[in-house]
Amino acid sequence: MIFKRQNTPVEEVDEAVEEVYEDAGHSEDNVDTVVGPSVNVEGDFASEGNIVVKGTVTGSVHTSKNLLVEPGARIIANVKAGSATIAGEVRGNMKIKDYLELTATARVVGDIEAKTIAMEAGSLLCGKVMMPGLEANEPRRSGRSRKSEDSSMEMGGE
Amino acid sequence: MYVYLYDNYLNSKKFQSILKQIEIRLVDYGIAGKILRLNNYVDVKPIIEDEIKRGAKNIVIVGNDRTFGHVLSRGATCDCVFGFLPIGPDNTIAEVLGIPEGVESSDILARRRKQKLDVGWFNNRYFVSQLHVMPAKVRVIYDERFQVSTPFKMEVVVCNFQPFYWKRHKKDAEEFVVHPQDRKLEAFLRPLTKTGWFGYKYEDPSIFPFEEMEIIGDSPFVVEADGKATKEVKVKIKLAKNKIDMIVGRDRKF
Repeated sequence: MIFKRQNTPVEEVDEAVEEVYEDAGHSEDNVDTVVGPSVNVEGDFASEGNIVVKGTVTGSVHTSKNLLVEPGARIIANVKAGSATIAGEVRGNMKIKDYLELTATARVVGDIEAKTIAMEAGSLLCGKVMMPGLEANEPRRSGRSRKSEDSSMEMGGE
Repeated sequence: MYVYLYDNYLNSKKFQSILKQIEIRLVDYGIAGKILRLNNYVDVKPIIEDEIKRGAKNIVIVGNDRTFGHVLSRGATCDCVFGFLPIGPDNTIAEVLGIPEGVESSDILARRRKQKLDVGWFNNRYFVSQLHVMPAKVRVIYDERFQVSTPFKMEVVVCNFQPFYWKRHKKDAEEFVVHPQDRKLEAFLRPLTKTGWFGYKYEDPSIFPFEEMEIIGDSPFVVEADGKATKEVKVKIKLAKNKIDMIVGRDRKF
């Protein structure tokens, strides 16, 4: 019995060594999508990671993360992004989920919807600016609705 | 049962002593097996399939990056576990897989730490490390959604196993390193712009992670996959996920 006990763990170890099947360690790396200076992109340009534009993009741009448009770069497209820093030219509507920064060299022609906007002196913008947070917190009340509210208060009081 | 595929260059006297040492170590571990010597122009797939029919479950590639690419470009679809024993010069893939050169590589083989790996697929064959399109007038279509073009000639490098190191200048500290197994292939596009009277200059690269892409040229262009060059007019590249069962080392880079 004693001999058997000594032998069994060694066999078990050998078997364990034989079939080590490691979990595939597919880790995500943070490779940005970069559009180079003389490169033209046409079509639905979508990426899961950050996008850096140094060239020209036509069509639409979509990312859930950060979009950086460098000076001299051109986007002729509707843009949807998590956050964006614009130092180049954008012709199209922009819908930014979180933070939008327009630097001094930015030229934007189109409507903007963003939660937070920072505009540096010298940046140019032609279009409507919407900040959805403001609408949700303080809705405009018409005179008629205020009256009906008052009357309902009186009814409740009686 | 193990089958060992030796590259042709290992016949050289220079490598006889290291091969002897490895073979002795493999006998010690009880994993020695049949040895087959490869030729440059032999399709490996039927050879591997024959050996699998005879009962082989592990195919071990013995050689360098070129051998590794040569075997897996055709043999990736075979139902077996692949191992790698790097010997001699030009062994960069072994480092990515965490396999040391020489006798120590047999320790990794004996330990059998397996992992399923992604490979790239292009025009009916697989590539494991890198695909390189020499500067040519090409346009690239990604995932059938958007097209990338440039007025200049463009160089394209698609990375899978082998990380792509690239520096803007020799002194530059910034270096692009691509993760080898990140469930995506990375394409680096570098337009070759003309500068003045004297020659050409590579522009900053564009980088696109992708799962499927098509490279279309107006005229035939040179494609080099795992060191093997061919001329193509249209190349379709895809990512084949979890294609290879591979024995890897603990110090692998993924």
